[in-house]
Amino acid sequence: MDFQSLLKTAPIHPDVLQQSLWMIIALPLLGAFVCGVFGRMMGRANVHLVACSAVAGSFILSVLAFWATSHADAGVPTSVANAFGGAPSRYALWQDLGTWFSAGDFRVNFGLLVDHLSGTLLLVITGVGFLIHLYSTSYMEHDDGYWRYFAYLNLFVAMMLTLVMGDNLVLLFVGWEGVGMASYLLIGFWYTDAAKAWAGRKAFITNRIGDFGFLIASFLVVLLVGAFVKQANDADLQPVASTSARYSAGLEQRGPLTFQGLETMARALPDASGAVKLDTPISSGPLEGRTYGGVLTVALLLFLLGAAGKSAQLPLYVWLPDAMAGPTPVSALIHAATMVTAGVYLFCRMSFLLVMSPTAMATVAIIGAATSLLAALIAFAQDDIKKVLAYSTVSQLGIMFMGVGMGIFWAATLHLVTHAFFKACLFLGAGSVMHGNGDETDIKKLGGLRKEMPWTWVTFLIATLAITGIVPLSGFFSKDAIYHGVHHNHLHGLEWVSGFLYYVGLVIAACTAFYMSRLYLLTFEGQRSPKAKVAHAHESAWPMTLPLVILAVLSVAASVYAFPLLANSKQALMENFLSPVFSAAVGSRGDAGIAKAAGTVALDTSLPSLGSYAMAWATVVAGGLLAAFLYMRFFPAQAGVPAPGFARLIRRTAQNKFYVDELYEFLIIRPVKFLSFVLFRVVDAFLIDTVVVRGTAWVTARVGSALRYVQTGDTQAYAAVMALALLGGVLYAILKVL
Amino acid sequence: MVPISYYLFLAAALFCMGMFGVLVRRNALVVFMCVELMLNAANLTFLAFARMRGDSIGHVSAVFVIAVAAAEAAVGLAIVIAVFRSRGSVNIEDIKTMKH
Repeated sequence: MDFQSLLKTAPIHPDVLQQSLWMIIALPLLGAFVCGVFGRMMGRANVHLVACSAVAGSFILSVLAFWATSHADAGVPTSVANAFGGAPSRYALWQDLGTWFSAGDFRVNFGLLVDHLSGTLLLVITGVGFLIHLYSTSYMEHDDGYWRYFAYLNLFVAMMLTLVMGDNLVLLFVGWEGVGMASYLLIGFWYTDAAKAWAGRKAFITNRIGDFGFLIASFLVVLLVGAFVKQANDADLQPVASTSARYSAGLEQRGPLTFQGLETMARALPDASGAVKLDTPISSGPLEGRTYGGVLTVALLLFLLGAAGKSAQLPLYVWLPDAMAGPTPVSALIHAATMVTAGVYLFCRMSFLLVMSPTAMATVAIIGAATSLLAALIAFAQDDIKKVLAYSTVSQLGIMFMGVGMGIFWAATLHLVTHAFFKACLFLGAGSVMHGNGDETDIKKLGGLRKEMPWTWVTFLIATLAITGIVPLSGFFSKDAIYHGVHHNHLHGLEWVSGFLYYVGLVIAACTAFYMSRLYLLTFEGQRSPKAKVAHAHESAWPMTLPLVILAVLSVAASVYAFPLLANSKQALMENFLSPVFSAAVGSRGDAGIAKAAGTVALDTSLPSLGSYAMAWATVVAGGLLAAFLYMRFFPAQAGVPAPGFARLIRRTAQNKFYVDELYEFLIIRPVKFLSFVLFRVVDAFLIDTVVVRGTAWVTARVGSALRYVQTGDTQAYAAVMALALLGGVLYAILKVL
Repeated sequence: MVPISYYLFLAAALFCMGMFGVLVRRNALVVFMCVELMLNAANLTFLAFARMRGDSIGHVSAVFVIAVAAAEAAVGLAIVIAVFRSRGSVNIEDIKTMKH
């Protein structure tokens, strides 16, 4: 049996396996329950066993599911029937656990979907997740809250798996909120330190702002689907081999928010022959008179707000650097490898909607580029090892957003994966450095760790080279694939964006090389700083170094996916692998794709040339060499001499994060606080407490004290009143009768 | 046969006399007797209407009123005796402690 057919023969047949997809989520959830409830009485070693094996079990199931998505019986790949008519989703497993809830004609099913995109993410989440669990067993060995820590970590994994496996937007949102909560719990893990607890709150509230956008966007999508199903006729759905009756039947069965249904709608929308096109006004309902394309753009921009919150993009990126208050393995898992890529995943998952709106795409790309550049510049002058890595994460996420925004979805996904490897490796390396140096995070007080921590050094070096983009490593290829797409894809009506963003991208690459080289050089090279907390650092134990080595190997090996190794196609491996997912949006062989049908994006499928490779490489090397010159020669030689004025100004501005936090404080937090103060003083304290609550009591008391003189105690007076009332009643009755 | 209005006028007169007594007399025992007078005025009305209609519902009501009146008299007299024992008077002008 050759390699190809081995890949296409899953050890467990997809029909069998897709009945068990729920277990991928259930295992870590069970682990979280056991660790959280019984953790303290079980003891440290048992908690480690339960938490790690839950994630390991989930990883094994993910591998089997991933394998099964490529399974083919006699050349026919495993697929999921399309409930909305049209072609089945190929290379996918699907489990429907029935209706979750329904109200009127709105319903949400509990459906789990594993295709090549979510399968890749499953492997990253459970694989990197397991390595980080293993690492944590050693990193948290002196912490009394170990059981709480592992319960939260398992909960996070379960929620992240829900996010990527949900087959509809509502289930995705459950995971979206769940990872937000796990992130909040873990950032504020050491809650006795007020600053850390505040960092958790900041993350949570910033994310809530984004989630608000996500929810409104989902409501808009529901309205859009409702309008579409009323207005569309069979001619609209004819190109997707469906009819409006079948489409409505699918909606009744599965609800309006499944990705399959949205994809079918997206394919039908740009078609010229039907009644509904992107510029058709909606005929009835709350959105009456607005065009389909317009509503879609607004919904996508709101989704962008949600993604900006979760993936730390402008304007909501401010929480991520503060999130470094959590334990370092948490930063590696949640705030570098998995959770923060949820926004990228969301747009990849909904690529078919995104490509219909060039405005939304350009906004996504520009936001990504701006965030990336800003974060890279801030990272120049940060002295905290974790803060540098945090800003670097923000910057790399910005690059992924650029890729998504310019329609090069496969490269964004590949960068997501490679970034998960090398950034997790960097964070875990930083954790190892902190562990061996008495929790010192200031890189100015480290230095010369190369000989003292050899394993940490070598893995950190490889990951640094990978993120800066040195040639044979994965970061170079994934980043360059994005830049190539950004350069050559053109948005209709917004052609200037691609050329402009490409040069911004080169600046970002140079900046990345600069700050990463600075971080590496100050930490590992040169002399040990005299201000170091401990005289000699110690290398960490094997549960910490082993994940480092595995991640370093992966950040080298992952570059394979960017090579065009296929015999019958000139696509890169990853592009070919993800084409069943993205073919609806960008097209593939025998499938024009929505982008072409709608005429919104001109996509380029060529491979990068050696010239552009050389240019990207030269940029990176220039940035790295500049950092090497400055921090190895220039500054050490001038020790004691104050730096030139402009350099100090730049440093101070970058160190203070371009005063963005202060700007937000001034523009948003102060006005909100003032408004809250007014509401508190005027509305709550005065109107509600004083006027309404105490006022009622005051009036009642006054009226009572006036009326009490009526109670004389004289029985005959009471009887007289009763007699008069009776007389009045009788007179009234008589008058009525007469 | 006596017309029904005669009975009703008699009952109204009895009722008004009873009510007058309840409102103006000061002796609790007399007030009680006036209450009985009012009840019996009501009984007379019941019986008059029963006779007019030729059925027995009015009789039944009258029997109920008599039973209630008996119970009321028993309880009321007990209260009057208790009040007399504690205060040495059955004048209701002296029993005005239940006030503001």
